[in-house]
Amino acid sequence: MGGSSVLCSVVGPTEVKIRDEQLDKATVEVVARPLVGLPSVKDKAREQNIRETLEPILLSGLHPRTLIQIVVQTMKDDGCILSTAFNATILALLDAGIPLKSILGSVTCIIDAQSNEILLDPTTEELAQAKSTHVFVFDNKSSIANNEDIMDQEELLANVLFSDSTGSFSEEEYFECSRVCFKAAQAVHGFIRTAVEKKLQKEYQQQE
Amino acid sequence: MASASTATPATTAASPAFTFSASTFQKLHPAEYFRKFVSQGVRPDGRLLNGFRPTTVHHGVITTANGSAMVRIGGTTVVCGVKAEVAEPRLDAPDQGYLVPNVDLSPISSSAFRPGPPSEQAQVVSEAIHRVLKESNVLDLKDLCIEEGKAVWSLWVDVVCVSYDGNIYDAALTSVMAALGNVRIRNPTYEEGIVKVSGAEDLSDDNSFTLKLARTLSSATFALFDTNLVALADPNFAEESVSQGRITITLDEAGQICALSKIGAGASSPALLRQCLGHARERAQELRQLMKQ
Amino acid sequence: MTSITEDLSSSGPKIVLPGDILPGPESGLLDDAPTAPVIKLGPGLQPMDDDTIAAVKAGVLKHAAVGNRWWVESNQRRYVAATGESIIGVVIGKSADYYKLDIGAAQPALLGVLSFEGATKRNKPDHKVGALLYCRVSMANKDMEAELECFNPTTGKADGYGELKAGFVFKTSLGLARRLLDPKTLVLRLLGQHVPFETAVGMNGKVWINSAKPAHTILICNAVKNSEFLGAEECRSMVKSLVEKL
Repeated sequence: MGGSSVLCSVVGPTEVKIRDEQLDKATVEVVARPLVGLPSVKDKAREQNIRETLEPILLSGLHPRTLIQIVVQTMKDDGCILSTAFNATILALLDAGIPLKSILGSVTCIIDAQSNEILLDPTTEELAQAKSTHVFVFDNKSSIANNEDIMDQEELLANVLFSDSTGSFSEEEYFECSRVCFKAAQAVHGFIRTAVEKKLQKEYQQQE
Repeated sequence: MASASTATPATTAASPAFTFSASTFQKLHPAEYFRKFVSQGVRPDGRLLNGFRPTTVHHGVITTANGSAMVRIGGTTVVCGVKAEVAEPRLDAPDQGYLVPNVDLSPISSSAFRPGPPSEQAQVVSEAIHRVLKESNVLDLKDLCIEEGKAVWSLWVDVVCVSYDGNIYDAALTSVMAALGNVRIRNPTYEEGIVKVSGAEDLSDDNSFTLKLARTLSSATFALFDTNLVALADPNFAEESVSQGRITITLDEAGQICALSKIGAGASSPALLRQCLGHARERAQELRQLMKQ
Repeated sequence: MTSITEDLSSSGPKIVLPGDILPGPESGLLDDAPTAPVIKLGPGLQPMDDDTIAAVKAGVLKHAAVGNRWWVESNQRRYVAATGESIIGVVIGKSADYYKLDIGAAQPALLGVLSFEGATKRNKPDHKVGALLYCRVSMANKDMEAELECFNPTTGKADGYGELKAGFVFKTSLGLARRLLDPKTLVLRLLGQHVPFETAVGMNGKVWINSAKPAHTILICNAVKNSEFLGAEECRSMVKSLVEKL
């Protein structure tokens, strides 16, 4: 995404350590690695964010007593690492064929301190100028549900899978950001779909 | 609600001998036990869904610290101590001090915590508090400057959990705000590379300073339970372990939102968020009253 | 994306992603399908909490009118055992009753020592640790290790199942393995025109090759691995250039 890039690998379902084994579902382990140096507290927080957001959408009940390990490695950082990581993770999970309830799309936006405008997908420089920063994750379920009811503004504001905002902002600003990000998340979902279609097209072209 | 019966209705009808006590039911099916309460609009400890536990704040509990506070929310007790230390500033920010919050979830506080390096939860809470303090500019770090490029104050904000019964973030943040509020640091003098802090006379307004806090933060956490997403205010440990996600809202005294995070538990509607925001505002009011000395 | 759907199978003109809900009768997609009340769901489709059927994997939605069956054809690299599939496993352990086989899934699979053609308590084949076996999944359950057998249950005959001697095994994605089994897929046919070889393809993504010379084996192995994302023409030229180098 722009100047940021995140490499994500998914291994699983694979054998799990007895200590972590869960009898009724797969254990999900997320490892976040920074660009340089050892993983810090920030990476731990990111790990938890990703894991707890994925857990409800992963159908882990289909692979009990196994481990699904997700490794998120930051390659380039120019803002919105968390959103990039979310989107990389979902693509990796799709590629690995892990059963999912839905797909997700993540978007970051900021409210600029000077102009009070909402900027999508900010760079590191823009983040420094922000009054507040908002990360959203939406699934593709709510987008389907909401397309039918597009007139209703409150409905258009989709169901949030994950939201993390810091800074200083009002309730109205928050919901406005949510609205803008939701629309942007539709584009992310579209992108994911195109990416998957391209890959499938490549796979099937050999057959006559 | 007092006597919960067996899981399968068929067997209950046939043989009442299969009933067991509520506490056994709780151990066998904690989520199901909990669901029965929630469907009636109450929680096992008698609170309503949006009820917070009784909260107390004590200021200045540690005399050797520059500032301290103890906060009790139901069964959760945390102590926060702020210690000021002289340190060299970073090269890229020569006139800014440091504010380093850390949350320690020791094995003393709950059997859920193991000794050893800080758990993921402790790290995540520490990071959350660090971020909210930094992003909402609670404290101007320039106030901690002693001599530009040479010496600054480094504030170690240590939160120790004495007893753990859920909702550590709210307790920790409240204690941090209360402790920062009563920090008093002796005026330093800087001479030729040496910072002198006199320690002889008693602290007074003449020889020490307090921190100017731009805003007072207060937070409210809600646990999200089940797929139809019931928000439970101020979850205790048992509720946290059966819940799938949480919403944490941090507000300042002007009612501006300083941090809002929603994690886990599938998709939640904006209506639920608005509802939580409303409860969070009431709670913020209440906490501010408590924090006033 | 209509272009891709047209040159795919006529019965499954749709790419689905997790969360996509299986279209109801009103969508027109099901026009050719009988309005049978019973729908059989295959891999990649799951009934959801709200009584809809949604895809849980990314792939091509396929439909067979016979039995009104629906499934999603997807690709992945990790094998999850399914009953009836032919797979290649490596013996990693042996006890009095069972061989333990690595089939590339999360857990090793079990193969009874008597699950061979004509095996009796006195007369049963002995396989060493490290032996390669071509077998069939007789029971697969998410909660238990998969169980295997080395004979066709309807005839009781070996039908090609059993130890694979000599040769070479390599791993591919599950999708490629499945496509290699499809006679429409070019690469094996093309290779057969140039070099003679024997092959066994396991649904678990393991492919066994045996040919007269190691050089041939390497060539086949490389050609198959290269072919995964190639079109028909590219595949022809790739095989040609590899054969020329021989």
